[in-house]
Amino acid sequence: MNARLAGIGAWLHARAENLLAAMLAVMFTVFILQIVFRYVLNLPIGWTHEISVIMWLWMVLFGTAFVVRDSEEIRFDILYAAVSDRTRRGLVVVTAVALIFFFSISLPAVIDYIAFMKVEKTAYLDIRFDWLYSIYAIFAVATIVRQFWLGCQAIWGKGPAAFDPTQASSGV
Amino acid sequence: MMLSTAFTLALGLIIVLSVFGLPMGLSMICASVLYLLMRGQDMGIVAEQFLNGMYSNYIMLAVPLFILAAEIMNSGTLSERLLKWCDAVVGRFRGGLAQVNILQSIVFAGMSGSAIADAAGSGKMMQHMMTQDNKYTPSFAAALTAVTAVIGPIIPPSIPMVLYALIADTSIGYLFLAGVVPGILMAAMMMVQVAVTARVRNFPVERPVPLRELPKMTWQALPVLFMPVVLMYGIYGGITTPTEAAAVAAFYALVVSVVIYRSVRWPDLYAALLTSAKTTASIGMLIAGALVFNYVVTIENIPNSLSALLLSWDLNPITFLIAVNILLLVLGCLLEGTTILLVIVPVLIPTAQALGIDLVHFGVVVVVNIMLGLVTPPYGMLLFIMTRISGAPMKAIVGDVAPFLVGLVLALLIFTFVPETVLWLPRMFGYGAAL
Repeated sequence: MNARLAGIGAWLHARAENLLAAMLAVMFTVFILQIVFRYVLNLPIGWTHEISVIMWLWMVLFGTAFVVRDSEEIRFDILYAAVSDRTRRGLVVVTAVALIFFFSISLPAVIDYIAFMKVEKTAYLDIRFDWLYSIYAIFAVATIVRQFWLGCQAIWGKGPAAFDPTQASSGV
Repeated sequence: MMLSTAFTLALGLIIVLSVFGLPMGLSMICASVLYLLMRGQDMGIVAEQFLNGMYSNYIMLAVPLFILAAEIMNSGTLSERLLKWCDAVVGRFRGGLAQVNILQSIVFAGMSGSAIADAAGSGKMMQHMMTQDNKYTPSFAAALTAVTAVIGPIIPPSIPMVLYALIADTSIGYLFLAGVVPGILMAAMMMVQVAVTARVRNFPVERPVPLRELPKMTWQALPVLFMPVVLMYGIYGGITTPTEAAAVAAFYALVVSVVIYRSVRWPDLYAALLTSAKTTASIGMLIAGALVFNYVVTIENIPNSLSALLLSWDLNPITFLIAVNILLLVLGCLLEGTTILLVIVPVLIPTAQALGIDLVHFGVVVVVNIMLGLVTPPYGMLLFIMTRISGAPMKAIVGDVAPFLVGLVLALLIFTFVPETVLWLPRMFGYGAAL
């Protein structure tokens, strides 16, 4: 049963990766289109701008929620890397509890804000902003669930993987 | 300067959560919620700042595209051809391979905006070439790759400069130009240093490539060598915006790797897209967290209070710049570079402005500082990467980095106190003329 669940999880993760890579591919393609249209065909288009910004926003929130692993996030690790496995589990529980608290308490207000944005639409493609911004609510819920899972793992014996700074690239 | 209780607690929360290991971006979001909660303000502001900030800052899109360009360059044989060409040009001198390492970094810097990509791209190959037959010690080879990678984001294009342009509201085009002379100066200093060390430590000479083969090798490497020219012409010829230039860079790398060199296949391309998208998500969270927290910093009026406080001390620009250099170098030993750039630097900008320091000049000083932070222990991203690639102990690498670091800090002092080294080129292109 567990092996099957893990199999489904891995399959879903791979599909999420596909989707994330596709978002970047779309952003890249519309940028090239935009340049070609403006400078080669002398025909400026605005919708490409909108699509690329949407892809950027979704890539960050969707990617953080479903694709990027905890060991790949940018963090301050001097204490985290130096302490024993037991202490590190304690740290994980503390940060998980704090994050769940702050994300949960702000969630209703966040959803209110997103719902309120239904009154606005994007300039070119007429996409309702509550649709566009809904990814933030998904991200918030997914992050709460992930931190809950990490906290449980830490309490019931499985420590987080030792942090590897070379995995957490910030691109500078 | 009085900090409110809510702000002090929020700041404390960021420090505790991030020291306990929560990713930086999430720590800043939690702290902002705490602040709004204590102030009795609408907590939906967190989402508003995050979403509108990310949606409206178009120039940030250069970041994922520059990352993608570097990934595509690194997945093909682009670096390999570049190395061969560099070997043909400078391999014949004493300490030849060490000079090759520097020269290839200069050209790579002209195509990529990331120091990490520079080290990760050619690092493995360079390490292998330099340590073969015991020519150089593994730690020296690794240290050299790390310090030469520092030039990457100083010579344009540059991801840290895009982020700086965002927070300081300066022109990316002029910032990029301002990095050219400092980047080349730093490389030249390294070359001199290597030439001297080569005589002292008797470094080997490479088998010279006959000069008559040089035109052919240059022809083969031409698509690579041409890339910085394409980028600069695109931006300064008024053909593309700097953001679009990032897309052009990725497109050019794709065409060269797939069509001309035929060295990138579909699976490689997918891997490059996925890695770039993941890096984008990580750095994007950090940018967004900083945007949300900067809202708190702004309503607390921190940058202006700090500026007023510092001005009341009769601070002159020189003391301020010295203090900034010390602060950023110390923070660079402890913190990740993007965090410093997005969280600490915005607080300093109003003071710099009030003291009459040119913000393009200030930007280059800040970026050089942050790049030096990548090779200073204990937290130096380039040190981590080269420890991984070379297998040499980090302590030994740090030991070999140290002499170069002295030179780099000297270079930093020159850029700090002789603004002309930084501003000369942008002024040639009309910077400040309208003022």
